[in-house]
Amino acid sequence: MTQPEEPELVRILAADGSLAPNPAAEPYLDLVNGLADSDLEMLYRDMVVIRAIDRQATNLQRQGQLALWPPSLGQEAAQVGSARAARPQDHLFPSYREHVVTRIRGVDPIGIIKLMRGLSHGGWDPTDPANGNTHIYTLVLGAQTLHATGYGMGLVFDGRCGTGDLDRDEAVIVYYGDGASSQGDVHEAMVFAASYRTPEVFFLQNNHWAISVPVATQSRTPLVRRGEGYGMPSIRIDGNDVLASYAVTRRALDEARSGEGPRAIEAMTYRVGAHTTSDDPTKYRTSEEEQSWAQRDPIVRMRAFLENRGAPFTLFDEVDAEAAAAADDLRVRTNELGGLERDSMFAHVYSDPHPLMDEQRRWLADYEASFEGGTR
Amino acid sequence: MTTVSTSTDQKPAATAAPASGPMPLGRALNAGMRQALATNDRVLLMGEDIGRLGGVFRVTEGLQAEFGERRVLDTPLAESGIVGTAIGLAMAGFRPVCEIQFDGFVFPAFDQITSQLAKMTNRLEGAVPMPVVIRIPYGGHIGAIEHHQESPEAYFTHTPGLRVVSPATAGDAYWMIQEAIASNDPVIFLEPKSAYWQKGEVDTTAPALPLHASRVVRRGTDVTLVGHGAMVGTLLQAAALAESEGTSCEVVDLRSLSPVDYGPILDSVRRTGRMVYAQEAPGFTSLGSEIAATVTERAFFSLEAPVLRVSAFDTPFPPAKLEGTYLPDADRILEAVDRALAY
Amino acid sequence: MSTQTFVLPDVGEGLTEAEIVTWKVAAGDSVQVNDVLVEIETAKSLVELPSPFAGTVGQTLVEEGVTVAVGTPIVTIEAASADAPLSQTDGSGAGESHSVTAEADGAEGGGAVLVGYGTGGHVTSRRRKPAERPVTASVGVIAKPPIRKLARDLGVDLAAVTPSGEAGEVTREDVVKHASQASVFRNIETPDWPEVREETIAVAPAAASAPPAPNGVASPFAQAAGRVESIPVKGVRKATSTAMVQSAYSAPHVSVWTDVDATRTMELVKRLKASPDFADVKVSPLLIMARAVIWAVRRTPMVNAAWVDGDADGGAQISVRHYVNLGIAAATPRGLLVPNIKDAQDLNMRELARALEKLTLTAREGKTTPADQQGGTITITNIGVFGMDAGTPIINPGESGIVAMGTIRQKPWVVDGEVRPRYVTTVSGSFDHRVIDGDGMSRFIADVASILEEPALLLD
Repeated sequence: MTQPEEPELVRILAADGSLAPNPAAEPYLDLVNGLADSDLEMLYRDMVVIRAIDRQATNLQRQGQLALWPPSLGQEAAQVGSARAARPQDHLFPSYREHVVTRIRGVDPIGIIKLMRGLSHGGWDPTDPANGNTHIYTLVLGAQTLHATGYGMGLVFDGRCGTGDLDRDEAVIVYYGDGASSQGDVHEAMVFAASYRTPEVFFLQNNHWAISVPVATQSRTPLVRRGEGYGMPSIRIDGNDVLASYAVTRRALDEARSGEGPRAIEAMTYRVGAHTTSDDPTKYRTSEEEQSWAQRDPIVRMRAFLENRGAPFTLFDEVDAEAAAAADDLRVRTNELGGLERDSMFAHVYSDPHPLMDEQRRWLADYEASFEGGTR
Repeated sequence: MTTVSTSTDQKPAATAAPASGPMPLGRALNAGMRQALATNDRVLLMGEDIGRLGGVFRVTEGLQAEFGERRVLDTPLAESGIVGTAIGLAMAGFRPVCEIQFDGFVFPAFDQITSQLAKMTNRLEGAVPMPVVIRIPYGGHIGAIEHHQESPEAYFTHTPGLRVVSPATAGDAYWMIQEAIASNDPVIFLEPKSAYWQKGEVDTTAPALPLHASRVVRRGTDVTLVGHGAMVGTLLQAAALAESEGTSCEVVDLRSLSPVDYGPILDSVRRTGRMVYAQEAPGFTSLGSEIAATVTERAFFSLEAPVLRVSAFDTPFPPAKLEGTYLPDADRILEAVDRALAY
Repeated sequence: MSTQTFVLPDVGEGLTEAEIVTWKVAAGDSVQVNDVLVEIETAKSLVELPSPFAGTVGQTLVEEGVTVAVGTPIVTIEAASADAPLSQTDGSGAGESHSVTAEADGAEGGGAVLVGYGTGGHVTSRRRKPAERPVTASVGVIAKPPIRKLARDLGVDLAAVTPSGEAGEVTREDVVKHASQASVFRNIETPDWPEVREETIAVAPAAASAPPAPNGVASPFAQAAGRVESIPVKGVRKATSTAMVQSAYSAPHVSVWTDVDATRTMELVKRLKASPDFADVKVSPLLIMARAVIWAVRRTPMVNAAWVDGDADGGAQISVRHYVNLGIAAATPRGLLVPNIKDAQDLNMRELARALEKLTLTAREGKTTPADQQGGTITITNIGVFGMDAGTPIINPGESGIVAMGTIRQKPWVVDGEVRPRYVTTVSGSFDHRVIDGDGMSRFIADVASILEEPALLLD
């Protein structure tokens, strides 16, 4: 028995920024050609701004203002392209590294800061229209894939998809990584998604590392084949190519929302930073590998592309300034964050009234008042 | 994301309630679910073999035929998947009622129940309620093979964010399943499988008690016996035997395992001065231990004897031929009653 | 401009220390926000620390190569702008916020911990308000919880009760029996008869060599005494005997008595004892008895009168006093004294309790003055403390009535048609039949008993 060859990936933008779609990219070019200059600039801007914010957040951790920060450094194109491909009515389920995805949908980055600073387990309200139907981060790997599939099942049952109206039909996109792809929940999510033909895109960012474990340990076969195993069309893309990320995700979401069932995308990218600020990549990977990926940087290639198209120099200065301002704004607002009211821990354990919550809230108030200078 | 419809958005019953009368506990559950499906179109059932087959205990018999495949789902064979997708469905405004086929098979879903379902509303700071019911047949006395006779209640009562209940009678089963479905919180609904075929009076006109209430089911003066699920029947047997020996036992059906309604229990202990908690679960770090500690604290000055617990031994559930020795029966309960009286 | 201090953060979720490897800045350098200040090495990795402040470096505080704990100040910066972090030393960062502003002593990482600073640092404890600790019940006594409560309710010290339970525990019966015993009859030793010695057969006045004796009488049990001892009558003994003779043989004494259910009095006494208003003063059934007597006097004033003999100028008179100087018979080291509480009718419950307490203490200390004993109008003698139910006491000269308070113990009583244990006592008294007749004295005793049965009648 022989294995099929390494699957082709879709690439439109080469690493040097030249527009060089490969054969696999052909079916998606119409979507790219449909993008206006302002759309292309927006994609670039999204990536630059989040990189600055991401760097600033890492610094905040180093300054003792956050417990932790998982950097998205290097994965900007995969995330920006796919997030911009989603339509306003869609539902997004991130893992815990999709900072720009949440930002694009309208979530204030201070929400992520609150999670990382110990002020919240969520950080924003997914039912608030301002947040663009973006679910909160899930730290248990892969668990969100089942929630996303369940949501997709709900869309099918309520007839909120499959009508053919692209502006009304809703779809779900769920983000997860190469490490999480080994979790049983991801497998079960694909089983249910295929069985119920959910309007769903499984967006796997293969950033090649699960903390210190390389993707080769997670899988002996290209991860893009997993989706095929469950009976869903599965495409591999160059995850550092924002145009490919946009176009393929756009197509996948529109097919899924139209009743054709779930799709899977494997975005090949690289986790340039550490797993989180507690991690030290020098212990398990080589600087040669890191260098080779640095040459495939998503922002560098997009900038080159825009320059080649004749974008004015002022654009890039403007974007840099905007990025610096956004990062500084986040720094200032983070430093201003206060604490939590003690009894907030009882507030939302249950939706309906609960006697034990009342009892313990009262007890804590009395206990705190029993100290000299204590307050209720 | 859509706003979740709350339990109060009920339409008037399209289907008339069944007539009151005696029926097996499993049938009462069936009737209760049928009412819920008929009165609220956001309710759906999901689980393995619950549709066409009607469930391995026939508890969901006839419901898919009546309400269709979109309301009664035969899911793939994956417990974590069942609970995880139910969470997603709840986010999309449904009120899913999951069935886990047997107690011993709930564990693959443990993360989705304890890390995800129990904490989701809290993590979302109240923005999205989780009106999910997880029905689990549990307990022994059916001579089954491994993993089919577990008592996992303590794992769930120990998890903040969950509610846990267990009806002991058909009458309670009919109403409690509806009340659990109407709750806006996740409810672990433990069904005593050895009682599925036991008949009991079901009054379909009005619920007797709220979901989280305990109840005195037999009056007595010397010792208070408390338990839940199938054990309630055993406690009543023990009380009858005790009476013939001249000891008057009061029996309390716990009904709600989390939160616990201590009122009737404390009232009883203050009158009798002695209490025994009986459970099928192994005793170490069990629900009975929690209740014993709390009753001791709150009724201390009324206690003529320490609160005693009668539990299964702290071993895995043995091969079925030993279940008679393993599980507490009337004699084991009476042994504890004797010890309590000897103080 | 302000001096900001940057302390070593926890960069890796629970790290406790790090080594300063290389300083990237020196004193006087100008820095921007996020410029790298220093490279540190932790247990996990080599990390660069970016500046939270913009300004001029003041001082580097730790040398290269030195390992310091998380939370140690490592560099100061003269900050140019005001938008510095809320200060890493501020305890209110990510810890609990109180509704008051955070205390300044968060500086050492005690109490609430800013995220990134780990949980190292010394443990502090907050000062509790001093709590009213109840007197600890006897440790080492075996008794079931309901019995402990019963003992507490009855005012019984468990340690003093002889346990009769099989396991050595104090039973309910033990406690109840103990509560109803008169206290004076515990731990009394009956001494031996004195030794007879030849040389002491001749009587010697005991005064010089004998130890101090109760009642002013040389102890009849003094070792040097013989078979018979003669004791001169002096002092209080003389006064008492004179008064008794005078009273007994001038006023025709009649005694009446009744039994009454005093359970409600016992309950009231218990509640008063538990009340903060009475926390600092002794409360006993005698207090209720005193109020009862004063109340009953108002309804039968003649018991509070005095017979005044006629003289050359006129016939006998009965002097009815419209005030109550309430005498309390007190057995003291000197002998029987009857000090009285002046104008007891004007005292409220608390004041009366105080007065009783003061009277008792004064008498016990032997400091009762003659003035204290003069002018009494009616007297209570508490023979209940000796375990007696009733008596036929002798009226205090100058008065017409004396009430004897008996012991209060549990006895069977009929309540609502059923026999139940209740606290029962006898109220008895002696009266001068020259001044008051049987109906009056009976009514008076009945009234006193009514109060003991239903103290709420005092609300009248």
